Order: sequence, then structure tokens, then C-alpha cells
Amino acid sequence: MVTYAIRRTLLVVFGAIVVSSAVFIGVRQLPGNAFLSDRVSPSQAEELIHYYHLDEPWPRQYVRWIGGLFQGDLGESFVYRGQSVLTLLAPKIRVSLGLGAAALSVTVVVGLSLGLVAGIRQNQWIDYTASTAAVVSYSLPNFFIATLLVLLTSTALYRLTHGAFYYEIGWGQLSQIPVPAIALGLPYSGIVARQMRAGIIDELRQDYVRTAWSKGLSESAVVLRHVMRNALIPVVTILGPVATTILTGGLVVENIFGIPGLGREFINSILTRDYNMTVAIFTLYSLFVGVVNVSIDLLYPVLDPKIRL
Amino acid sequence: MSVLEHPAEHRTRRRRGALLANLRTGLRRNWLALLGIVIIFVVLTAAATSVVWTPYPVGLQGLGVPYAGPSLAHPFGLDHAGRDLLSRVMGGAAIAMVVGVGTSLLTAVVGILLGMLAGFYRGWVDTVVSTIISIWYGIPDLLVALLFVVFLGRGLQNIIIAITLTRWMEMARLVRGQTLSLRERDYVEAARAAGTRDRNLVLRHILPNAAGPIIVQATYLLPQAILFEAFLSYLGLGVRPPAPSWGTMAADGFRAIQFAPHTVLAPAIAISLTLLAFNWVGDGLRDAFDPRMRQQ
Repeated sequence: MVTYAIRRTLLVVFGAIVVSSAVFIGVRQLPGNAFLSDRVSPSQAEELIHYYHLDEPWPRQYVRWIGGLFQGDLGESFVYRGQSVLTLLAPKIRVSLGLGAAALSVTVVVGLSLGLVAGIRQNQWIDYTASTAAVVSYSLPNFFIATLLVLLTSTALYRLTHGAFYYEIGWGQLSQIPVPAIALGLPYSGIVARQMRAGIIDELRQDYVRTAWSKGLSESAVVLRHVMRNALIPVVTILGPVATTILTGGLVVENIFGIPGLGREFINSILTRDYNMTVAIFTLYSLFVGVVNVSIDLLYPVLDPKIRL
Repeated sequence: MSVLEHPAEHRTRRRRGALLANLRTGLRRNWLALLGIVIIFVVLTAAATSVVWTPYPVGLQGLGVPYAGPSLAHPFGLDHAGRDLLSRVMGGAAIAMVVGVGTSLLTAVVGILLGMLAGFYRGWVDTVVSTIISIWYGIPDLLVALLFVVFLGRGLQNIIIAITLTRWMEMARLVRGQTLSLRERDYVEAARAAGTRDRNLVLRHILPNAAGPIIVQATYLLPQAILFEAFLSYLGLGVRPPAPSWGTMAADGFRAIQFAPHTVLAPAIAISLTLLAFNWVGDGLRDAFDPRMRQQ
């Protein structure tokens, strides 16, 4: 398992370097540069272009960048001049990962509960309600859920929230997290719920469950101790793609709520042609997505000792 | 061509008949899927109509007070530039359909091609394709699509290519798995023994039998693509305004949410209903094609 984890992690790092390289080369083909501003005179712009080595052919820039990458140096920002990209991004990484983790918890908690209830009460009204709620949830774009939540919190629930979520008042209070996290996480809970329901229904028909019943175990013991664990395996299969989508979906939600995270910075950096920033954020996202996927795959042997990695 | 090929071909045709029959009974039993079909029909009609006629020209500004609420003349109200929202939602339906269907088809072509190659020839071809797939899964999709659109311009065809670029893996993996299992079947073996060429083996014997799952996957892809385009447009990097993309309209409306919520609700409800309809139909198709699911 350790070798597996190492091999997969290496593949993640390799993949991240490959795609980041593609982005590195790609952004340099874009028209315009970061120094086309009224406040920068043409001679200053030329100086800056020389300072950032943008006047060199891209293969040489690339070699320099790769060299820096292996020393953990992703270069300086073109817009916030003289500041290392990683220093600038550190607080934003915390914001984005925090939001992502909160959203993933929403997805998992809501999804598993909906799926569990629907699965053990198959074909009863509660199943139909939960299953319909699941399809509805993943058919609502996160910006629609955000809209509804904002409308709700600014009218009916104003007493509770004081509308603290959607103004650009800085980020960092705990009370600001729930609304964006629900907007980001809720759509995918439907996918988790569907998988969970199918898993529960599949497992409930297995022989070992009949044995458990015949031993006189209570329903909660049968479901929680025996069925649940096996039903979680197909859920884990889709958890990787779901986590990926949530992490990148943060891009949209950060823009909606004005949250100063990586996603907003990414779009800004493209628009301002801050190449080092674009490439750095892309690399970080690739690494996060990869690491999340690997860690989720490592859950398999925990759930099912028969699975060896 | 040998005598042996005829019975095999006959069997394929009969199976296709059974497939359609399954589809019909399966869908009839599932009223949510039927409701989905009705909604899709409405959206398609709106989209097709918008090409030749909308109540007001889609881009015409200053039809009344900006942000005016729903009224008889403008059932969905007006947006920030005084444009008729009903007309724009109809125009948005056309864009959504083009993106959805276009992506679905393109993904099917790419996925079938790569999946078939990997599953049919196995060996190093399979290794290469599978490795690409697993690396590709680790790429942040929305970021790739954003960059692609920024690089190549925000035209509809670029958006379709960008979304396909992030969504082909599921289809390829599915087709690969199907091909791997189907190529070992007796009737494929028989056709091979009769000297059928690889191309015909794949096109006449394997592909038709993998059609069910491929269609289901393509149906699920459609709403994903529509949603993806809406995300891109919401971020201001989708179809160029003033083209009436639902995502752009929702983003515009979100800024006025405090005093004119209809401007965000109209496009958001349109997109949600469309996605819901396609997901219902997808579920119905899946149940219809997969008898094991139907029994549950």
C-alpha cells in the first residue's frame, strides 16, 4: 500500500508538471502582456519585460521555470511586482481549501444521509422524496442555489445571518462559511445519495445481512455495522471526481460571493496576463486534485480489507 | 462474404428490436422520464422558434424601465438594459441546446474512437490510452476549459471543444470496458472465424451492442455540458455578450438580486428545469436499458 501511495503520488506530481508546462507555454502565446497600462511608460514596460525574461524565447524561459519549480520557487507576480507568487497565494490557499473542505462535508453528510434513508426504505414515500430531492439537487447549478440562499438569508432568515455572506467585507469569520459551502456542496450530494442508495439496496440482499438479521440484531446494528461499510465502497468510487468538481467549482462560488480565494485570483491573473500567477495556481489546483484523489483511493483498503492496493 | 455472417447479423438486428421495445416499456413506466421528455420538447421548441422568431428582438435594449418586473407585455420582465427576458431565455435555450448536443456528439465520437481502440486492440494501445485517461482525471477541469477558451477565443465551437476536452474520459472508459467484454463473446468470435475484417467486427458486431450504455452516458453528458457552459458564461468567459447565454444572464441578474430577483431567477429556473429534464430522461433510459436496475 505504501508503494502504491508513493507511485500514485509520483504520477500526480508528474501529471501536474506536464499540464502546468502546457499552460506555461500556452499563456505565453496569448496576445498582450501584463505591462500594458497607462501608469507604465513604454521604456518602463520594456525594462519590466526584460526583468521578467519575457523577451527571451519561451524554451529558455521554460528551462528557468522548471529549474525554479524543483526548488519550490514559482517566480514573482507580474502585477504585484517583486513579490513571490507563493507568498501572495498562501492566504488564498487556506481560504479555498477551507471552503472546499466545508463544501465536501456538506456533500458527504447530506448525500450519505439521503442515500441511507432512501436505501433502507426502498420504494416507500420517503425513498421517492429523497431520490427526487437528490436528482433536483444535482440539477441545480451552484449559482442558482447561491441565489436562493442569498434571497433566503437576506429576507426570511435575516435575523440569523444579518446578510453577512455576500458583501465583500473580507473573509475569515466562521459565520461566513456555511452559505457558500452549501451552495458549493449541495449539488453534488445528490450524486453521492444516488450511489449510496444503490449500494445499500445491493447489500441488503446479501446473505451476510440475512445472517445478521437471523442473529436477532437490531436494525441499526445491521445497517450501521454491516451494510453501511460495504455500501460505502461504490460511494468512494465517485468521491474522487466529486471532490475534484467541488474544488474547481469553488471558482464559480468564490466569484459569486466575492471570496478572496484561488479561483478568483486565477481568473484575475488570466485577465491581467500575470503568467507566473496563472501557472502557479494551475499547478496548485492540479496538485490538490491529485492528492485528494490519491487519498480517497487509499480509503478502499480501510473499508474492504480484501482490496489490496 | 461467408454464409456465417448472416445469422450473426440477423441476431444483431433482433437485439436492436428488443432494445427499442425495452426502451418503450421502460420509459412508459417512468412518468418522471416522460415529464422530462415533455420539458425537453418545450425547450427544444423554444430554441428552434428563437432562431426565426422571439417576442422582441433578443438584443433590443430600452423596451421599458430597466429591471421592470414581470408584466403582460413582458412575462419574465426586463433586464438591466431593458431587454425582454422571455426572448433572451428563448435565445439562451438555443445556445444551451447547441452546446449540449454538440458536446454530447463530439464526446461520443472521441470517446468511442479511443475506447474502441483501447478495448479492441488491447496491449500497448490500451496502456497508452488508459494512462492518458488516468492522468487526465487529475486535471482541474474548469481551469483547463477556461484557459482553452481564453487561448482560442470564445466562439461556440471553441466552448464545445473545451468542454469535450474535460469530459471525454468517462465515455472512453465506458466504451473501453464494453469493448473488452464484448470482443470475447461467441458471436464476435464466430464473425472473426468467418474472416470478418476488424472494421466490420467493431462497427457491425461490437458497437451496436454497446449502444445502450453509450446512449445513456451521452444523455447524462448533455446537462453536464449545458451546466459547464453556464459556469463559463457566469464567469464572463463563455459565449460573448450580447449573446443571451443563461449563465451570462444569471450573472447579470445576480448583481440586481436585492431589488430585481426576477432577472436572476428567470435564467436560473430555465437552466435548472432543463438539467432536471435531461437527468430524468437519463435515469429513465438507464433503467430501460438495464433490466437489473428496473427490478430494484
